[in-house]
Amino acid sequence: MATTTLPRPKAYDDTFFKPISLWLTTTDHKLIGIMYMVTSLISFVIGGIFALIIRLQLSQPNLRIVDAETYNQLISAHGVTMIFFFVTIFVTGIANYMVPIMIGARDMAFPRVNLLGFWLIPVSIILYYCGFLTGGGLNAGWTGYAPLTEKAFQGHSLGVDFWAMSIIVWAISGIMASTNFLTTIVALRAPGMRFSRLPLFVWAQISTSILLLIVGAPLAAAMILVEFDRQLGTQFFTTAGRPVLYQHLFWFFGHPEVYVMILPAFGLISEIVPVFARKPIFGYMSMVAALFGIVFLSMTVWAHHMFTVGMNTYVEGFFMLMTMLIAVPTGIKFFNWIATMWWGSIDFTVPIKFVFGFLATFLIGGITGIYLASVPVDTQLHQSYFVVAHLHYVLFGGSVFAILAGIYYWFPKITGRLLNRRLGEWNFWTVFIGFNGTFLIMHTLGLEGMPRRIWTYSNEAWAATNMIITISSFLIAISILLFLINVIHSWTQGEIAGNDPWQGNTLEWATTSPPPPYNFERVPPVRSFMPVRDLREAGELPEPEPVPA
Amino acid sequence: MNSRGPLRRGARLLLALAGIAALLFVLSACDLGGVHPIFPDPVSPNGKNIYDTYVGISLMAIVVFVGVEAALLWVVIRYRRSVQPVGYVPPQVHGHTGLEIAWTIAPLVIVLAIAAYSFAELQKDFQPISNPQMTVIISGHQFGWDYQYENGVVVHQEGSLAAPVLPFVVPTHTLVKLQFRATDVIHSWWVPAVSGKTDAVPGYDNFSWLKIDQTGQWRGECAELCGAGHASMQIIVQAMDQPEFEAWMAKQKPAASPSASPSPSK
Repeated sequence: MATTTLPRPKAYDDTFFKPISLWLTTTDHKLIGIMYMVTSLISFVIGGIFALIIRLQLSQPNLRIVDAETYNQLISAHGVTMIFFFVTIFVTGIANYMVPIMIGARDMAFPRVNLLGFWLIPVSIILYYCGFLTGGGLNAGWTGYAPLTEKAFQGHSLGVDFWAMSIIVWAISGIMASTNFLTTIVALRAPGMRFSRLPLFVWAQISTSILLLIVGAPLAAAMILVEFDRQLGTQFFTTAGRPVLYQHLFWFFGHPEVYVMILPAFGLISEIVPVFARKPIFGYMSMVAALFGIVFLSMTVWAHHMFTVGMNTYVEGFFMLMTMLIAVPTGIKFFNWIATMWWGSIDFTVPIKFVFGFLATFLIGGITGIYLASVPVDTQLHQSYFVVAHLHYVLFGGSVFAILAGIYYWFPKITGRLLNRRLGEWNFWTVFIGFNGTFLIMHTLGLEGMPRRIWTYSNEAWAATNMIITISSFLIAISILLFLINVIHSWTQGEIAGNDPWQGNTLEWATTSPPPPYNFERVPPVRSFMPVRDLREAGELPEPEPVPA
Repeated sequence: MNSRGPLRRGARLLLALAGIAALLFVLSACDLGGVHPIFPDPVSPNGKNIYDTYVGISLMAIVVFVGVEAALLWVVIRYRRSVQPVGYVPPQVHGHTGLEIAWTIAPLVIVLAIAAYSFAELQKDFQPISNPQMTVIISGHQFGWDYQYENGVVVHQEGSLAAPVLPFVVPTHTLVKLQFRATDVIHSWWVPAVSGKTDAVPGYDNFSWLKIDQTGQWRGECAELCGAGHASMQIIVQAMDQPEFEAWMAKQKPAASPSASPSPSK
């Protein structure tokens, strides 16, 4: 055994090509993180193809590109794939890769649970798509409202059963990952890495994990009851039972899930902004407090998805108020980001462009959220294309733009190579224009009365708007294609990044790119929440020893 | 040092964005392709109040939107490294308690105002009404709506995409209580020009109302995914003056069974 430097396994040197056996059996949080991210990007492509077929079908009135039943399966598969198998999985993956490094740990607290948690995800995905082999997948939307999912309305296909099983497995995986993150962050921090010095991305992961830990189980419970109804003949959510109970259970998970997808995005933005503005984050403590404000509020707002089911107006008023209050912590974060950049010296690289894309569009998603929270206005906008536009502003303009920013930011650390800048610029401008072209005018469709989830429409007044949306959606597809080409090309051919291409603040920039299996030769001292910047300014940034071949 | 070039680039960017905004505004203003960022003209008082609430929220939303986007744009133009002096080191500010409190309070005041305004409207128009001049039971099923009048007449508005569906006829100047039911899965009755949507849920009755003071026809759709025929569950509401309404009603045969419609569910 080497005394000074641990030998680096040969198979590890090139992160792109590795023996399959290593991928299948590794408990290294970094390789598991990469597998999470690659799995989620494959889901992104599949969900995107579903979206393009949906947009083709809606491009003109009375089209028959797919039939109504297929259409309903497509929108369900698009929603499930994007929410459960893309965004949530991606943010879990990038946290899996980065959180242990950022706190100066060697791995997650439970490496084998980590491995199991990851492999449950492909199981969950395959289970979901197995439904299509039984005569039809889930066809009731990603929310799967009862009693439409009940046996009486489903014919012989088992799509709903496979969906329910898939989501149960997914929830178990999410609970495992959350437990693992929380234990890791509490127990494995490097010396000096006090809670008050944790990077904000790690704080975001703490809040996300708490949320998923609390709401994962009710989701699994809802799915188990759906299965009881379907297979054992119980009457929880049937026409004779209480269909609205399903909505309560589902949205008790479903709304916090939105924050499971957006809080890590907030964390990413909070990491990237200070690095490129060359200023420390403005209001560190209020950023952390805002995260936990959102965690608390997000669990008290679920019934704002149900303002049309006929609740007591005081109950509706409560949920309206709590929903609107979320604007307060979110506003704090927004203003702190802007204040961080104020008087800064912003280096306009691709990651920061995506950050601006995020800020400009997520703001619109936040503002339209206030409209939807207002009960009277929501009775008009609910289940219309306004909601579709809103949720894509939050999840695409929010989470996906932040994810893209994160990929451009951390790709050099993960692969050792920079993503191509020119392709990145093209990627940013095409996706920014395509996204807004698709979803900005979509708001007006909802105001004019176009409900979501309709297979086709006969109203000629909606034709031109829908055509513009369809054309723009293909611009997004081209942009994502550019992005994937960039990732695949740069992974093997990209410019060598070095350890610290952006002059970062947090610990991951103190190690090699990619980091060795044990992450650090020696964990650097941590004296603030920007340990690597402290070292750089003190002239102490250790250039990690070159790894022997 | 030449900082004019990048500044000019920033100005060009600003101009381009202003151009896009202007284009969107023109698009929305001149009604091109049916794009207009507001509901159809409301014909029922509850719809009118929702419309006004929407406009009220929009006034505040536009101020917030313009303010924050302008701040972002200013950061892009003014604080990019290429327009800063060479060797500029930004001030290392870690926060400012006063400012942080200010932008906690400001959004709080705005959302409390919006919530109070919305809650007042909620109390006014979303309570069960006690003095209807007429009650209609609207029953949703896969795929269509049945409208049962007090005298037992039932209009079967069967879903169709190919042809206009049968209209649901109401007299003008009449406060009509709408009582919603569903016989199979959840549906949602939505005519944007009249008012917001109300879910028809199996197991209990849900309520809304309308009062239309002009004659005319308005379109709507089912807003809750209810199966393969969801898109076909079109709605037409027609308001007639009292004499025409009487004549129309006289032509309808009294339904054989005044109870619920036959459910075609499998």
